[in-house]
Amino acid sequence: MEFVTHVRKERWATVAGYVLFVALMVAGYYYNITFVQLGLIDLGTRLVGMSETAVSMWLAALALATLVVAVATGVTMDRRGWSTDLRTKFRLLFGVVCVQFALTLVAPTVRTVPGFGAWIVLASVGLGVGFPVSFSLATDLVPVPDRGYVAAAITAIAYFAANAIPLSWSVDVFSQVLVAAMAPGVLVLAVLSFASFDRLDAVLDALGTQHETYGTGRFCHGAPVRARSLAFAVPVALMFGVFFVDSLGFLRIIDTPSLLLSSWQSPDLSTRLFIAVAHVVGAVMAGVIYANYSLSRVFLWTFALFALTHVMYTSDLRFADVFPAIAGGGTSPLNPALYAIAVSFYTTLNFALWPDLATPETIGTHSAIGIGVAGWLATFSSTALALYFQAADLTLLTHLNVVQALSLLLLFGLAVGLYARRMVELARENGGASV
Amino acid sequence: MSPTEAIPLLIVVLLMISIGGGDVQELSVTFQGDKDVDSLADVHVVAGGTTTVPGDATVDGDIYVIGGTASIAGTVDGDVTLLNGNLSVVDGATVTGTLQTYSGSATVSSVASVGRVSQFETPTPSSSPAQRVGGFLLQFLVLGAFGWWLVERYPLVIENVGTAITEHALVSGVVGSLGATALLVLFVYMAFTLILLPLAIVGLFAELLIVLYGQAVFGYLVGTRLPIERDGVATLAGIAAFLLALELSGLVPFLGGAVQLAVAVVGFGAVVNTYFGLQRFEPVTIPGGTEP
Repeated sequence: MEFVTHVRKERWATVAGYVLFVALMVAGYYYNITFVQLGLIDLGTRLVGMSETAVSMWLAALALATLVVAVATGVTMDRRGWSTDLRTKFRLLFGVVCVQFALTLVAPTVRTVPGFGAWIVLASVGLGVGFPVSFSLATDLVPVPDRGYVAAAITAIAYFAANAIPLSWSVDVFSQVLVAAMAPGVLVLAVLSFASFDRLDAVLDALGTQHETYGTGRFCHGAPVRARSLAFAVPVALMFGVFFVDSLGFLRIIDTPSLLLSSWQSPDLSTRLFIAVAHVVGAVMAGVIYANYSLSRVFLWTFALFALTHVMYTSDLRFADVFPAIAGGGTSPLNPALYAIAVSFYTTLNFALWPDLATPETIGTHSAIGIGVAGWLATFSSTALALYFQAADLTLLTHLNVVQALSLLLLFGLAVGLYARRMVELARENGGASV
Repeated sequence: MSPTEAIPLLIVVLLMISIGGGDVQELSVTFQGDKDVDSLADVHVVAGGTTTVPGDATVDGDIYVIGGTASIAGTVDGDVTLLNGNLSVVDGATVTGTLQTYSGSATVSSVASVGRVSQFETPTPSSSPAQRVGGFLLQFLVLGAFGWWLVERYPLVIENVGTAITEHALVSGVVGSLGATALLVLFVYMAFTLILLPLAIVGLFAELLIVLYGQAVFGYLVGTRLPIERDGVATLAGIAAFLLALELSGLVPFLGGAVQLAVAVVGFGAVVNTYFGLQRFEPVTIPGGTEP
């Protein structure tokens, strides 16, 4: 790990870059998985009085609008050279955090549907500008060999905090906690964006030139990776699949009180801690595998874990279906723990992958398309499908059965795809069959 | 009892039924509530609640108790097996077959009529020093013979696995824990399909063999650090020292168990990563760093 070398050689500017990146990404991701994913549902249903279906439609709209804003931001960043200007990125990020700070502060006061809609539109602008800018900081702050480990640290800290700290899933609570947490962040970003004194300038100058050394991603050495090339499109499609499967399954799990109260919202702290630790273990494992194996192997593990998780969930449900009396006996924390490991796996991959598929000149566009299509579009589509399932009155088992089928299909498809690619390589190498 | 808790014991029941070889057409399970039975399926499993065979009833079939309580006052024309939970055979009751107790609480009246009573004694490591020494020697003989053969015939193979352990312990540990856990779950669920039961048994046995392979390689690594010239002898001595250290570590609460688990998963991962030693494990090279 290069981080240890930098500490040993007292390259404190570089070390500060690692810490800053992890802190920013943890804060952003924690905000996303708590306030955006959970707080808005509470805001829409409880305070505004909308139906769950209506809120889900608004959230799908948020995902789609965020994708559009992100792609526009990413392309603009690359074309105007903002992707290689550290100070500009900090200023953009400062603007985003200010907007989100204000939105978070006023969220609990929203009471009308138009107000909720306006909040969603403004939030999508903040999120859409925020994630390509924050991901692009990886090219300045994180050396390529350490991106897997840094991604693991971000995932582990964010998920551990989200699961271990017992917050009620209410927009008021999230708002209070996040406003308090964001206030010092706003201050730090203001200093990084606008202040100028010798020591700070020296650190920022050092960090600002690091993209010349660390900027070219792991998969961009040799042939350049373009947004329209297969080398970029295939990971986007695979990540879309992972996000889609996760979101489709999780939407139904959190809608099922018996599953939710025995796992992520268990009143028992030890259960939540167990899940939090599983997230950390999954993230560390993913970081190690990302740093030591090819990308295809990481995807294979991710798909295998998701397939296994859903096989376990559906097996339990089938079992309870055959023996209904057992259904009231509670559920084991093993299934959510395995789910947590699978989620940490692909989240780690998501944090490392897009900077590694880009250069300082393309990071804005690539991270916007990557996360926008794989993350936000997948969330939009899975929410739409989940709503359709809800309208069709699908049972929990049938719903998760579809998710299981998709996860198995992804695993099988990837295995076949890799095998076929190897066959094509062999055919090209040998010009046909050889003995 | 949750599905996750019930499934393993039900699988054990299914395994016992399949090993027994009887012609089972129907299986029933009780999970909760009080129930008096006048007739039984070929096999009845008590997983919860209380199931009673009344004094005036004669039922034909086998009973397995994996949770809850089974009370026999009448006649059971078959075997009764207790794996967990409570079993009582009261005065005047009859069990024509074998009453087998593995775990749980059994109360059998002295005036009840039971064909044969059998109690499974769990072999506890501390029950007999001779047993422990015997077990240790058997493990040493098997691993020693395997290690000796490997070092003498295929030294590169064992060296490859050893290098994966010493130079890539973290990667081996991660792959070992992920792979072993995933395969374990997979085999358990395969067993539950019954059709894939033989494959699941073979798979679980193969997992055990891989762990043993890893242990032999750990012994080989210890042997390379001993002042013994002949590789085969050094490996034998190393395996003996390693097994002894592993056995002694088990005496330390928690930490000993953690060490044993870590050794098992690192060994497992190293064997898998090197294709059983056929290929040296080399992690991918990531370009773009500042260090050579």
